[in-house]
Amino acid sequence: MIGVSVITFAISHVIPADPAVAALGDHATDEQIAAFRAEYRLDRPLVEQYVTYASGILHGDLGRSIRTRRAVSDDLADSFPATIELSFTALLVSIFVGIPAGVWSAIYRGRLPDFIVRLLALAGGSIPVFWLGLIVIGLFYYQLGWFPGGGRLDTFVAPPPTRTGLYVVDSLLAGDLDALRSSLVHLVLPALTLGYFSTAVITRMTRSSMLEVLGQDYMRTARAKGLRERVVVVRHALRNALIPTVTIIGLTFGSLLSGAVLTETIFSWPGLGRYATASAVSLDFPAVLGVTLLAAIVYPAANLVVDIAYYWLDPRIQRG
Amino acid sequence: MSYRRLPILFVVVALIAACTQPPTSGPSTSPQASGGAASTLVYYADVSDLISLDPAVAYEFSGVLLVHNAYETLVKFEGADLSNIKPSLATSWEPKDAGSTWDITFKLKSGVKFASGNALTADDVVYSLQRVIKLNKSPAFLFTDIAGLKAENIKATDASTVIVSMPKTSSPQGFLSILTFTVGGIVDSKEVKSHETAGDSGSAWLLDHSAGSGPYNIDHWTKSSEVLLKANANYGGTKPALSGVLIKHVPESTNQQFALEKGDADVARNLSPQQIAALQGKTGIVTTSGNSLLLVYVGMNATFKPLDNSSVREALRTAIDYDGIIKDLLKGNAKKVQGIVPIGLSGANESAPFQADVAKAKALLTQAGQTAITLELLVPTGQAPGGVAWADLASKLQADWAKIGVTVTIKQTAQADLLTTYRAQKGQLVMILWGPDFPDPDANVGPFTDAAAKSIAFRNAWDDKTIAAKGREAALITDVTKRTAAYKEITEYVLHNGPYAVLYQPTELFGLRSNVKGFAWNPMGWLDFASITK
Repeated sequence: MIGVSVITFAISHVIPADPAVAALGDHATDEQIAAFRAEYRLDRPLVEQYVTYASGILHGDLGRSIRTRRAVSDDLADSFPATIELSFTALLVSIFVGIPAGVWSAIYRGRLPDFIVRLLALAGGSIPVFWLGLIVIGLFYYQLGWFPGGGRLDTFVAPPPTRTGLYVVDSLLAGDLDALRSSLVHLVLPALTLGYFSTAVITRMTRSSMLEVLGQDYMRTARAKGLRERVVVVRHALRNALIPTVTIIGLTFGSLLSGAVLTETIFSWPGLGRYATASAVSLDFPAVLGVTLLAAIVYPAANLVVDIAYYWLDPRIQRG
Repeated sequence: MSYRRLPILFVVVALIAACTQPPTSGPSTSPQASGGAASTLVYYADVSDLISLDPAVAYEFSGVLLVHNAYETLVKFEGADLSNIKPSLATSWEPKDAGSTWDITFKLKSGVKFASGNALTADDVVYSLQRVIKLNKSPAFLFTDIAGLKAENIKATDASTVIVSMPKTSSPQGFLSILTFTVGGIVDSKEVKSHETAGDSGSAWLLDHSAGSGPYNIDHWTKSSEVLLKANANYGGTKPALSGVLIKHVPESTNQQFALEKGDADVARNLSPQQIAALQGKTGIVTTSGNSLLLVYVGMNATFKPLDNSSVREALRTAIDYDGIIKDLLKGNAKKVQGIVPIGLSGANESAPFQADVAKAKALLTQAGQTAITLELLVPTGQAPGGVAWADLASKLQADWAKIGVTVTIKQTAQADLLTTYRAQKGQLVMILWGPDFPDPDANVGPFTDAAAKSIAFRNAWDDKTIAAKGREAALITDVTKRTAAYKEITEYVLHNGPYAVLYQPTELFGLRSNVKGFAWNPMGWLDFASITK
């Protein structure tokens, strides 16, 4: 964390542009800019700025955003749940579509289902999220009218009372079925868009792992024992093939967070990605640092979950 | 049932819910806004610039739009006429020469109530104007620097009379123009004081609440999502036809266009000229435009030779194909304005003498003893006002200037970076925009002519003390006719001698549902939502 904060802080401050000018714009007087720099301690030596910032972090203070003029922690608390909700849903889509598709593709290796899955996976790895998002909105919102085009709720649906910031959870806790339906429906297109890339990655990894496992001797033994094919594939093959896939899932979660930057813009999703972009464009260093530190916490946390999943998948790892 | 199957259940529920989505051919109708969809204007816009809804703090386009509809000011401009000041909360005002100061006495309208039901008095006016100075946020310089005010210069003599004493160096006419802007919004002092925390003059509360007497109140602001305005039942003017206005933050213009066509949005704010063209003729949609007070210009820094030579600057101005920029690049979404005061403000000079005269431009260069010039043009990234990429504008200028033997290298950079360079007098040619801080010619003439103001003239190292003095004198003239004439003389001089090539004055484009009536964009960057019906 210290390393991340030092590097991000240093990179943020080598940019030649002045954040005070970015915040106050073309019309500000020299005096206003000087006052602003003093208010945000931008006029202090860089080392002193870092020490102040770092001591603030230790006290749970991430500083104040130059752009929104609010506490960065408040901004993150507003935007982070939206991103978590979207990324987590996209991850669920990736897992529940990617793994079965990979298994299916491996079982039908070299045949039509395999060809279709590989083609879709290739497309998933190649299509830019921004383009895909616009196509998805154009088709499913504009042309067919099946799903809403953006935002987290329908225009005239009030958000549920905030408990977690996750609208699906909050509306369930509040028993607000209208908000629940609306929030679920609004998740579909952005989650599919965001999850397509990771679905493709998971599919390909599952397929190659399954192909490797399906050729092992113990698979022949399982079949020789007279086990049903479904049991052979799910219990014996898939469970062994999942370990590399789970590793990829952990890494994919990072790409979901970064992919959220574009997805959130296209789908008017008020999350961390959009906050990070707006902050970076306006040279809002405290906000950029806050987002980076948060990402530095979330990413290892995702990998911790992966490690725990290893134990569940392969008990031998506990002894290793 | 096994708990391991819960995630599957979650996905199944999501899919079922998705399949039961009501048809989206018309707007959804749940009762968040009072009166629902039929009486709420749904306004799709990119409002990422929104920082605060406090009139003493808001200075961004989105903030100004919202504050304008929640607060009233002492005086106002009516519609797009930004020349004649009209009564609002004040029924009369008169600047008087009080020896060492200008004293303006405002008589307040009686019977005005805030949304809270509290009566509006002179104490509220004094509190509001002093609060701007005490908080000293972005728009405060309009009071302190432009009008030269201190908190003690604003006094109430009785419950309906306020006197503002200004230094003789400031313009009473300019101050009245400033008071029409949102920084002059009068807040309910009792209400605001009840929400003060740690001596913040209620600023934390007013960030996302309102305490005004305007036609609408701020119902809520969900950050990065939406702001809902609800009609103020105590509003003293003509009651708003719509009970609510919902501003949805939708940054992607394609989404705005889709939502407008589907009927989910009543207004789409950020459409490109191409999108507007695509919408024209579609059933249920109308497109409209509004004037702005912005100017897109190129600054020519006299620090760098040969830009110190006025003939070279005149040659660069003369070579530009302004008509091509407006017709081809901007699809007609701009006015051909070449003076430093935009059309719409008093004193605007409609003379536009330059248009791609290559022979004349070459002759001017020869006269200046220059045949081969190489310069760097600094331009921002992204879209310029009017809906064209800054880079495309820069390429057009590069091509126009190449015809007279001027080689220009384009350097594109983020606006914050560009401004840092420009402010430090380090840009050679800088293409950027300018909008006046308040609706008065002084808001442009001062920055464009007075190097001592450390604004645009300074950034281009143009220190013409005679014209700067004339600009300061014009600001202080109280006779409107004489003042306008003085500004015309100044702008004519700057047109040929200043270090600027003003390219155009953009217009704003909007897509509307055809049932939306009474939509009139004000060049100051706002709408009167109260006059809109649907």
